[in-house]
Amino acid sequence: MDTLGDLAGGFAAAVQPASLAFALLGVLLGTVVGVLPGIGPISAIAILIPVSFGMEPVHGLILLCGIYYGSMYGGSITATLIKTPGEVASAVTAIEGYEMARRGRAKAALATAAIGSFLAGTLAIIGLTFLSPLLVQLANYFGATEYFLLMATALLLASTMSAGSRAKALISIFIGLAVGLIGLDFQTGLPRQTFGIGLLSDGIDFTIFAMALFAIPEAIRNLALGRGAKEEIQSFGSDRWMTKEDWQRSAGPWARGSVLGFIIGVLPGVGPSLASFMSYIMEKRISRRKHEFGHGAIEGVAGPEAANNAGVGGAMIPLFSLGIPGSATTALLLFVFTMYGLQPGPLIFRDDSALIWTIIASMYIGNVALIILNLPLVGVFVKLLKMPKEILFSAILVLVVIGAYAIEFSLFGLLLLGIFGVIGYLMEKGGIPLAPSILALVLVPLLEDNFRRMLQISGGSIAPLFTRPVSLAIIILMLAGIVGPFLFRWWVRRRKLLADVSVG
Amino acid sequence: MTATRRDLVTGVVVAVIGVIYYLATFSIQETSDIVTPRTFPAIVGAGLIILGLFLAGQALWQGRRTAAGTTRADATAVDATRADTGPGDTTAADATPADTAPGDKEPEPASGVVLPAPEDPPARRVVLQFALFFVYLAIVIPVGFLLSTAAFLMTVTSLYAPEKWIRNLLYSVLFSVIIYVAFVYGLQVYLPVGILG
Repeated sequence: MDTLGDLAGGFAAAVQPASLAFALLGVLLGTVVGVLPGIGPISAIAILIPVSFGMEPVHGLILLCGIYYGSMYGGSITATLIKTPGEVASAVTAIEGYEMARRGRAKAALATAAIGSFLAGTLAIIGLTFLSPLLVQLANYFGATEYFLLMATALLLASTMSAGSRAKALISIFIGLAVGLIGLDFQTGLPRQTFGIGLLSDGIDFTIFAMALFAIPEAIRNLALGRGAKEEIQSFGSDRWMTKEDWQRSAGPWARGSVLGFIIGVLPGVGPSLASFMSYIMEKRISRRKHEFGHGAIEGVAGPEAANNAGVGGAMIPLFSLGIPGSATTALLLFVFTMYGLQPGPLIFRDDSALIWTIIASMYIGNVALIILNLPLVGVFVKLLKMPKEILFSAILVLVVIGAYAIEFSLFGLLLLGIFGVIGYLMEKGGIPLAPSILALVLVPLLEDNFRRMLQISGGSIAPLFTRPVSLAIIILMLAGIVGPFLFRWWVRRRKLLADVSVG
Repeated sequence: MTATRRDLVTGVVVAVIGVIYYLATFSIQETSDIVTPRTFPAIVGAGLIILGLFLAGQALWQGRRTAAGTTRADATAVDATRADTGPGDTTAADATPADTAPGDKEPEPASGVVLPAPEDPPARRVVLQFALFFVYLAIVIPVGFLLSTAAFLMTVTSLYAPEKWIRNLLYSVLFSVIIYVAFVYGLQVYLPVGILG
């Protein structure tokens, strides 16, 4: 009952004109940015963080959460119509959705994605509403040992459960860790890994790193490609929205995708991208129309899109209630919280409970806004796909520079931006995924701090890892998380469900 | 560059970075704590070395297997399509689910989830774009946001589409001014004024 009371209070604040406006603006802005080819939620949030600098914390956070799920939906439009997924999560949509569009069923594909996203998103927020307070209760039993373990688990899962080479995902994590350790050690105040450069002792700013890695390589690559790489935009004009059969065929995938996506989203270290891949494989496996997969099966759009939006809500749970981001995107949101001087976790539910419930309530509103705005406006968004590349990507570079300047106000900050842009480009060229390193960068200070405290409390022994009941439970889950994907891959290979999941 | 070569190079580079990172930890002052300030950086450096060597070793092993005439394993084949520069998005994904004839029942690629590799631009032009960007980074504070941004946008768009110079000019000037006004007056984020100030 308490929860409902809190939520009601949140709604009362969230329907205030200003909050409502920011929720709508966030969703709209997110969709617009997400539609732009090559820009996913991570770059969208990273580029738009500077916009929220001057805002009230609650408004800024409402805006950025709206941007998050708005851009997820925007990405599915791009994937369906030009087969350029802005982010890994809508990569499978680029297969089935694009095939549907080629067969003149673009509207149905977009509709099933939108409705599925709405249903799954709403279910996930309901889950968030009721699970977070429980997790906050549980967090009372958490000490440094458990926090350390949870973060280590997040990093491990981010590598074992990624859709590609595990060694490369691990390399990405270690790059993030390496960058995160640069600067003064907060416990002793000693400089570390600064290579004698005094300016580095403040450490590498997280937003600069995220913007550099996610926006710059993509922009430079597209600008360097020049013209010639013309994309074919699938038209969608006279075809119909979803038919009765489409509804019937979508209902099951929506439901399964929601549950799957939510569970995967809650796991630390595993983002929505895996949720959409797994949903796709599952739908294909149980479908009676296997032959249609790869040729525009609506289930292959409905399930994954539901799964990745449920994953967004799921991923908010560990972020809000424990202060542990489970993915690169939630890591960015965590950064925004701390930028406003807020620390997500059990304390925020006690000290800033009004704020957190307003944000949760606004997520319900944002989800409704997403579907009301997007289906009628999809024609407008499609026009964005025709935006000339040189305009789009040069503008992104400028926005990134503004962001870096607004954070550091120095030439050195701008230089770091450029250098990490080069590093990001080289990482992509080497096939190293970028997202895990962002997660690692955010987690490394917390990881080290909790590790030290654990050993200080125990006097240097790692025994508490195994003797504390909660931490033992986490270890067991962690092992399951490491062994699970191997079993899953083995099962997938055996069944020849997919030759390999790789993302370019 | 084949996928194997790429992984070999990547692995070696990562390992070298790991060595440098590890060596840098020796200049961290030691303390008497249980976990010294050096502990974590040293672990990370060692981790990078091990992972880099692992990746390089894997690539060598795979390369030898390919050279030995074995048919390329799934993973290698997929990686190769990824790395090879193909025209547009006709690389992996088009070849996989869409284009396999409807006739074949359960061939491996037909069930694969393989995504189109992003196209690789020529290195020379990548360097040029990065160079332009760095020049912009260097001048934005001394020259000021408005002038340097307009100049940067004009250069980049003109390299891309020289014949549309009127549009480029309009875009460069208008975008710089609108963004400047929006950030400085709307969002209270101050941008460098430079020589105009």
